[in-house]
Amino acid sequence: MRSRLGRLWSAYGMAGVLVALCVAFTWATWREESPAGAAGGAQLAEALGARIGQGGGLLVAPDDAEGRAFADGFARAAARLGALPPEATFGDPPAVRAAIERRVARGAAPRWVATTQAVRDWAVWGSLRSGTPELARLEVLAPKPVWRSTFLSTSNLRNVADQTAVIAIIAVGMTMVIITGGIDLAVGSLVALSAVAVAWLIRAAGGEGASAPAMLGASAAACALCGAVGAFSGSMVTRFAVPPFIATLAMMLVASGLAYIVAEGQSIYDIPVSFTWLGRGADLAGLPNAVALMIVLYLGAHVVMTRTAIGRRIYAVGGNAEAARLSGISVARTLLFVYVVSGLTAGVGGVITASQLKAGSPTYGMMLELYVIAAVVVGGTSLSGGEGRVFGTLIGAFVIAVIRNGMNLLDVEAYAQKVVLGLVILGAVLLDRWKRRRA
Amino acid sequence: MRRSPLLLALLLTAFAGCRGVPSAPPARPAGANASAPSKGVIGVSLLTLANPFFKEMGDAMQAEAAKRGYTVAIVSADMDAARQKDQVNDFIARKVAAIILCPADSRAVGTSIRAANQAGIPVFTADIACLDPEARVVSHIATDNFAGGKLAAQGMIEALRGKGKVAIIDHPEVESVLQRTKGFREGIAGTPGIQVVAQLPGGGMRDSAYKAAQDILEKHAQLDGIFAINDPSALGAAAAIEKAGRTGITVIGFDGQPEAKQAIREGRLYASAVQFPDRIGRMAVEAVARYMSGEKVPAETLIPTALYRKADAGKDPALK
Repeated sequence: MRSRLGRLWSAYGMAGVLVALCVAFTWATWREESPAGAAGGAQLAEALGARIGQGGGLLVAPDDAEGRAFADGFARAAARLGALPPEATFGDPPAVRAAIERRVARGAAPRWVATTQAVRDWAVWGSLRSGTPELARLEVLAPKPVWRSTFLSTSNLRNVADQTAVIAIIAVGMTMVIITGGIDLAVGSLVALSAVAVAWLIRAAGGEGASAPAMLGASAAACALCGAVGAFSGSMVTRFAVPPFIATLAMMLVASGLAYIVAEGQSIYDIPVSFTWLGRGADLAGLPNAVALMIVLYLGAHVVMTRTAIGRRIYAVGGNAEAARLSGISVARTLLFVYVVSGLTAGVGGVITASQLKAGSPTYGMMLELYVIAAVVVGGTSLSGGEGRVFGTLIGAFVIAVIRNGMNLLDVEAYAQKVVLGLVILGAVLLDRWKRRRA
Repeated sequence: MRRSPLLLALLLTAFAGCRGVPSAPPARPAGANASAPSKGVIGVSLLTLANPFFKEMGDAMQAEAAKRGYTVAIVSADMDAARQKDQVNDFIARKVAAIILCPADSRAVGTSIRAANQAGIPVFTADIACLDPEARVVSHIATDNFAGGKLAAQGMIEALRGKGKVAIIDHPEVESVLQRTKGFREGIAGTPGIQVVAQLPGGGMRDSAYKAAQDILEKHAQLDGIFAINDPSALGAAAAIEKAGRTGITVIGFDGQPEAKQAIREGRLYASAVQFPDRIGRMAVEAVARYMSGEKVPAETLIPTALYRKADAGKDPALK
């Protein structure tokens, strides 16, 4: 019994931590919130019922897609009830205030306002009530709130996945490097280099008018450049026996410097809007494209690590390089492979970052390598090499992203966030150590 | 099974450390502010909290918001545009009433602001402007950096009596800093006796500006003045000058932070173009509050600087 539980824990322990974190944040961000959009509008209209027909109402919504949907939903539900929907006003607080004051001036002061929760919370209503005697008893009505969790909302979960994507993708390469017993400190700088390179190439290929194939080519070239930097670090490690820490530390500085040189210290932003497809688009059933790419890369890496010869060689080299060499494995080629993959995944991370921010700047990726290494280690990969799983890393990346997101939702002070994050990483690794000793 | 209590304890400690989460299930909204009579949460992402300038701005925002019945949630972007994007997304997920940003990158912040625009959340910028023409910013509150740079130039001309070689330690990644160097260069352009012999990036921070200043001093045996784009850079430059044992170099900073004022009093710095981060913070929150109550707010509010010299330091009650 004990040993089976132990095995279960050692395989899924960090996943349990992730679930526990999600439950905790769901519970801590539980609050009342009105339904939005068309459903909110319909619900409010049904709640108001016959009152709509009695007049004296005004529909107020923000001038955006969701506000229009709210008004549409309200109008349709009112029509079903056989009532004429009230006049609608769209806009921001100053516009709404001006519109209502115009109505008051022509003697048509509304008695009630039907609106969304966000608009009901505007301070404009307080100042209208106290400043205009005709509006002193104005009622502002929003759809009945329901209990829900901000953390667990679809938009926030998508947000967390989106925030994880870049770190998780880079962590694919890092996991392989760490399994061989190495480390790659250059990935943060490579993100900057890749972002700057892709932005620079797109600018050179016509800036805002660049075509899709040109952008694709620029992205591939930026990734290839980072792969080449990875190959360079790898050959330093294999051919000249430079310790990986030193070799990649040097490349971290080189890549960062190159990024500043290419970008001339500025951010490059002459990029077509369509370039943000990768970083901001969500084409697959609401799944952000970057997250879809992340999933594909993880599936691929999982197959490589568990089903192919190169995957077995990576584990073998990390477990015991000498034994691997004696059994006929080319240690140098295996190491070169993992550093190239690490460079390539960092390049992909940089392209996504540039796409998300619609600009490439040499300041991107600062300290990112540390978060990536943290994700790998939290995911259960041993820094001494030889063991680790790519899906463990994915869980590790999510643990870090969830903690960060949860703390932002809970208003944790900026300084305290770093302390908590550091302690959680330490705690996760300690747990892992403890688990290994017992298992 | 014996392991899970420890795991839980660890998780709970992590939470208890960050906020007073009630230990009973939330009968009342745990969203903290839902039951308070707050008019809403203003999400604030500052450039960094490692610079006292932004700390002061954040504190002023907190105070002003409390006065006006709002709560602020302040996070630090740590000068990282990608992190700031994540923070804005978190604000959108929380459905804050309004967002105030000090952009970490004046261009890249555009995509985040547009996302907030789409979610119907008004965005204000403080200190650093957004340069993306498609992003809708309700109001921008900042120091008049260009005029401040000219003011610093006047101080330099006055200190050098219109003749000498000067260097600039800048930080060209930030739009407001570009305005300062532009103002400074324009300010000294009318005085042919003063030449700019070097302009090096100092990262806006004391340690990196120290190194930049060392390089400048190494290269220019004859140097009469350094204009540093902020006080940490100026203090770094002053430290480099002292370490090199050079004298007679006028250092002028920008910001007016307490430590720099002290250094001006001691004569280590000549002057600083004082900004008023507390006023920026206060006016940013005021703009949010006025906008939310339906008043029109100006698209841009520029706050002038003042040159702070030794004579001002002598009279400053805040210095001992």
